[in-house]
Amino acid sequence: MAKAGGITNAVNVGIAVQADWENREFISHISLNVRRLFEFLVQFESTTKSKLASLNEKLDLLERRLEMLEVQVSTATANPSLFAT
Amino acid sequence: MPASHEASNYDEVSMQQSMLFSDGLQDLKNLRAQLYSAAEYFELSYTTDDKKQIVVETLKDYAVKALVNTVDHLGSVTYKVNDFIDEKVDEVSETELRVSCIEQRLRMCQEYMDHEGRSQQSLVIDTPKFHKRYILPAGEIMTATNLEKLKYFGSSLEDADDWNQFRNAVRATIRETPPPPVRKSTSQSSSPRQPPQRSATFSFTSTIPKKEQDKRSVSPHRFPLLRSGSVATRKSASISRPTTPSKSRSITPIRYPSEPRRSASVRVAFEKDNQKETEQQQPSKSKRLLKALLSRRKTKKDDTLYTFLDEY
Repeated sequence: MAKAGGITNAVNVGIAVQADWENREFISHISLNVRRLFEFLVQFESTTKSKLASLNEKLDLLERRLEMLEVQVSTATANPSLFAT
Repeated sequence: MPASHEASNYDEVSMQQSMLFSDGLQDLKNLRAQLYSAAEYFELSYTTDDKKQIVVETLKDYAVKALVNTVDHLGSVTYKVNDFIDEKVDEVSETELRVSCIEQRLRMCQEYMDHEGRSQQSLVIDTPKFHKRYILPAGEIMTATNLEKLKYFGSSLEDADDWNQFRNAVRATIRETPPPPVRKSTSQSSSPRQPPQRSATFSFTSTIPKKEQDKRSVSPHRFPLLRSGSVATRKSASISRPTTPSKSRSITPIRYPSEPRRSASVRVAFEKDNQKETEQQQPSKSKRLLKALLSRRKTKKDDTLYTFLDEY
């Protein structure tokens, strides 16, 4: 009886250990995917920030050029004698 | 109408996309709270409930579904954000092209205006064209300051009446001038830098040093008179050249080698008229005289001329 009880306990412990390993494997999978998701988010953030920075730079340059054009056009329209033939 | 319909469709599609984007962002926000609440619930149920295995299995399923759902939401949101940023970058690039086009047009307009202004200003200042060499009356020394002064007075004699009056006056002065004394000694004529004293009508070369003669490459328009003929018109006009000494003519001064020679390119219409008039007025010369003059020009020596003059 004692020997049978010892075998049963060993089997239970083995089953418990296997279940524990399965749980650990599952958690590692989940954590790995969460890390990948985190890396993707970090990469997305960096690329989006660089894109937004370049877009901001282009918009600034465009704004300056438009202001210069506006000043030139306003100067030209303020002096209609320049267009007199 | 089709354009407005397409525009309305485009607005509708963009509105739907923006709505989906906002929904995805809102789901992501709610997903965080849901995950926190689910974690608290499973923790509590695992500690209190006896069926721990079922709770663990449920937790596993929920975690997988939550992860997949999060990945879906994040993928959708990031795709839309990327698409939106690319669209804006394209719009900015298109706007840059338009601005470049406008700047190029404006630059072309400015260049055209500058060119027109330059052309107008260049037409305002009518630069006088001077002939290379003229004979000034005696005492008129052409300096740089005189040249500058005379440069813009060239139009004062452009009228035909003034010009004719001036020319007649000069001719009268020439005819009244006594003939220059014939030089007897050839030793003086051999030195070209010391020309003899002649009548003061045309002989400005006798009073002007050689440096000033060299400087006198351009003549002012103010006194464009009595050119004694160009080198190119030797054959045709050398007979009537006023510089040739002659017994019949007592006016014309003797042309010495020290006088500056004219270039062959100087020819104007009134010069031809002048030559025709002088041809009509003055008698033709002998061949000896012509030969002597030509040989004098070629050899650049005065001996032949003065020998001939002595003989003449």
